[in-house]
Amino acid sequence: MRTKLLVTLWLVMTLICAVAPVNRSHVVSAQTRPKAQQKSTRYACPMHPEITSSRPGKCSKCGMTLRAVSDEPATTSNNNPAGATAPEAAEDSISLHIPDTPVYDQNGKRLNFYTDLVKGRTVAINFIFTTCTTICPPLTATFRRVQVELGARVGRDVQLISVSVDPTTDVPERLQAFATKFKAAPGWTFVTGEKTEIDALLKALGTAVADKNDHTPMILVGNDTAGYWTRTYGLAPPSALVRVISEVADHK
Amino acid sequence: MRPHCSAKLLSYSKHLAVLAGLALSLLSGHHAEGIAPVQQGMLTPQEQRGKQIYVRGTSASGQAILAYLGEESLEVDGSVMACANCHGLDGQGKPEGGVTPSNITWEALTKPYGVMHPNGRKHSAYTERALELALTRGLDPDGNKLLNVMPRYQMSRADTADLIAYLKRLGTDRDPGITENSIKIGTVVPTKGALADMGQAVKAVISAYFDELNSQGGIYHRRLELKVAETGETPASTRANVERLLQDEQVFALTGAITAGADQELFTLAAEHAVPLVGPLTLYPSPGAPLNRQVFYLLSGLDGQARVLVNFAAQKSPANKTGVAVVYPATESARSVADAIKDQYRKDGWGAPETYEYAPADYDAAAIARKLSQTGRAAIFFLGSGAEALALLREAEKLHWSPEVYLPGAITGQEILTAPVSFDHKIFLSFPTSPAAQTQQGLKDFRALAEKHQLPAHHLAAQLSAYAAAQVLVEGLKRGGRDLSREKLIAALEGLYEFESGVTPALTYNPNRRIGALGAYIVSLDLNKKQFVPVSGWLDVN
Repeated sequence: MRTKLLVTLWLVMTLICAVAPVNRSHVVSAQTRPKAQQKSTRYACPMHPEITSSRPGKCSKCGMTLRAVSDEPATTSNNNPAGATAPEAAEDSISLHIPDTPVYDQNGKRLNFYTDLVKGRTVAINFIFTTCTTICPPLTATFRRVQVELGARVGRDVQLISVSVDPTTDVPERLQAFATKFKAAPGWTFVTGEKTEIDALLKALGTAVADKNDHTPMILVGNDTAGYWTRTYGLAPPSALVRVISEVADHK
Repeated sequence: MRPHCSAKLLSYSKHLAVLAGLALSLLSGHHAEGIAPVQQGMLTPQEQRGKQIYVRGTSASGQAILAYLGEESLEVDGSVMACANCHGLDGQGKPEGGVTPSNITWEALTKPYGVMHPNGRKHSAYTERALELALTRGLDPDGNKLLNVMPRYQMSRADTADLIAYLKRLGTDRDPGITENSIKIGTVVPTKGALADMGQAVKAVISAYFDELNSQGGIYHRRLELKVAETGETPASTRANVERLLQDEQVFALTGAITAGADQELFTLAAEHAVPLVGPLTLYPSPGAPLNRQVFYLLSGLDGQARVLVNFAAQKSPANKTGVAVVYPATESARSVADAIKDQYRKDGWGAPETYEYAPADYDAAAIARKLSQTGRAAIFFLGSGAEALALLREAEKLHWSPEVYLPGAITGQEILTAPVSFDHKIFLSFPTSPAAQTQQGLKDFRALAEKHQLPAHHLAAQLSAYAAAQVLVEGLKRGGRDLSREKLIAALEGLYEFESGVTPALTYNPNRRIGALGAYIVSLDLNKKQFVPVSGWLDVN
C-alpha cells in the first residue's frame, strides 16, 4: 500500500514538471530523456547484503571488501514502484529559467545563484529548511552520501545545492550549523537570502509552496552546459541519485 | 515639565545604581535546603533514559545509537533522526512534504482491533516484541514494511528496553513542574551580602505578580508557584543550587533570575536541562550563534548598546564614521564589546576604528590621553570603569583635547557627572531601557501592585525588570495553551511581536532573536547642571 502512496507522489512530481520557459540566455528547452540505465554494477558486503555501494570499497559494518553483484532492474519488482527506486524515471526534460538571484551561502558570502552556482556545471538542488525535522534529515543525509559517492567530482564539475524554503529563519549561521551536522564538504552550498528573492527563485525552480511544511522531497538535477534539466525523488536510494546525476552530467 | 524631568533624573540614577550593582561579583550564599517531594506522574529513571533516546536520539549510557535509512541502509547518527523529529514530542506524528509519520502513542499502537493507515497498510496491535522488531527491522506486527523514511535503529538491548518503557508513557507525560492545577516557576536571587536587598525585592515583585494572577484564576486554572534558589558564593555553587532547584522542585521554567556573576553557568544549565529561562537580569546576554534556545533576554547587553552608540555617533558627525578610537581593558567581556563595535563599523561600511587595549593593573590615563590626542581622534569609545573614564577625561582636559566620548551606560556610575566641564554635552551614555519606555498604564499597574503587596521602595529598576520578565513568561504560558510544554512555551515566546510590558521598550522575539528590546536610548550629560539629558528616542540596533 506504500506502493500507492509512492506512485501518487511520483505522479505528482511528474505533473509539476511543466514549467513555462522564459526568454533568457540560459533558458533551456525540453530535450530527450536520458537513457535510463536498467542495469548497473553494484557492490555488496558478503556478510551484510544490506550494505551496498555503487563503487568498490569496504563494508561500513564489518570492513569486508564489497563484492560485485548484479542489480535488479527496479521496474520488475511489484513492491518497488518506479518513484521509489528508479528516480531516473522522471519523465521528460523540463524547461527552466534559472534566475541570477542574489543569495547568501552558509558562510554568509553573497553569491549570484545562476552565475556562481549553476553556470557551466551539473547541479543537484534539493529544498530544505533547518527547522524541518521530518523529511529534511533523510534528504540531507542522502545528499551527503551522494557527495561521498561522487567524490572529487563534487566541486569540480558537479555542484550540490540546498536551497532553504524558510529564508527568514534560516540565516547563514543556521545553515552553517546544519551543514556541519550533516558533514557537508566543499562543493555543497547551502543557500538563503531575502524572503522575496528566495520566493521568486523557488517559483522559478518550480518548488514554491504556500506553507514550508508542504515542500516536496524533490531534487532538481540539471546540466547547464547541455541545457538539460530533470526532477527526481529526493528520498530515493543514494546510488540511484548518483546514477541520475552522472547521466545528466554526461548528457550532450 | 519640571517634576517630569526630575523623575527622569531619578530613574536614570537608579538604573546606573542597579546596573553597577549587577556588575559586582557576588559574595555570599547558603545552600537551599533540600526537600525532595515525590511528584506524581513523574517518569521513572528508566523512562527518563528512554525519553532521552526518543527526544535526542542519544543514549544516557553513552553507547552508540545508529539509524539505517532506506534500501541501501544509509547509516546516520541516531541524533540526526531522533524519534521525536518525525513523531513529535507528543507521539502524534508531524506530517511534512507528503510524509505522514504514524501516531505512536501506546494507546494508538495497541488498539485491540489493530490500525489501518491512510495509505492502506493494516496491522494488528503492537506488543513490546513487535515494537522492537519495528525499531530494528522496520516491520509492523503483520510483517509489512514500514514507510521508507522510518529508519531501522541499532542500539543496545538496554537502550531498546528503555525506549520501549518510555514509548508506553509517550503522550501522557508532562514536562516537569506542570500538574492539573499548578505550574512551578523558579527564580535565582542573592539572599546574603551586598545584593541581598535587591534579591529580596525581585523575589517580592514576582511573588506579588503571581499572587495577583492566581487570584484571578491563574493560567487556565493552574496556579503559578514561585520557587527560589539562592545565589551561591561562586558561579559553580550558584549552578549547583539551581540544579538542585530543578531536581527537587521540578520547576517548569525560570524567570527574573539575577544571573550576574554566573551568567554562563546558568545559561548553559538552562540549555542542558531544556528549561526555559525568561528575562534573566544580566549585563552580558549571549544571544549569538550557536543559539541557546532556552534563554530569552529582555534588554540589550553592552555589545548591543555599543552598536547603537556606533550608529548614533556616525549619524551625529561624518567624522565619526572614520576617525574613532576604541579604548578598552584587556578583559574578555570588554574585548567582546570592542569586537561588537568593530563589527558594527564593518557592517555599516565605515572605516575600521583604531583600538587601544590596556591592562587594568597598569592603567595610565595620562599616556593614553597623550597618545590619542596626537592622532586627533574626533571620538572615543571607552569600555573601562567609570573611575578610569573620569581619569582619562581629566588628563584630556589638561591637553585641551575634548573629543566626543561614548560609554555604554552600565559601565560607569554617578561619578561621571563630575567630569570636566569641557566635556559638557560631549559625553554620551547608552541605556538599554529608559523612563521614556514606561507607559502610563504600565506604571499605574505596577504602582497598584506595589501598593497592594507592599513591595519594597528600593531597587526599583531591578523590580521593573523582574516584573517585565514575569509578564513575558506569563504571556508565553497563556499563548502556550492548556496543553502546555516547554517546547510550546518557547514556540509561543518566539512569536511575541512588540509585546508591551508597560515598563520596558516593546519586546520582540523570533527563532533567531533572543533579545526582546534590541537597541538603546542615548543620554548626554549636562555637566554644569549635573544632569542627564536624553538625546534620542528608542534606537533599534538594525
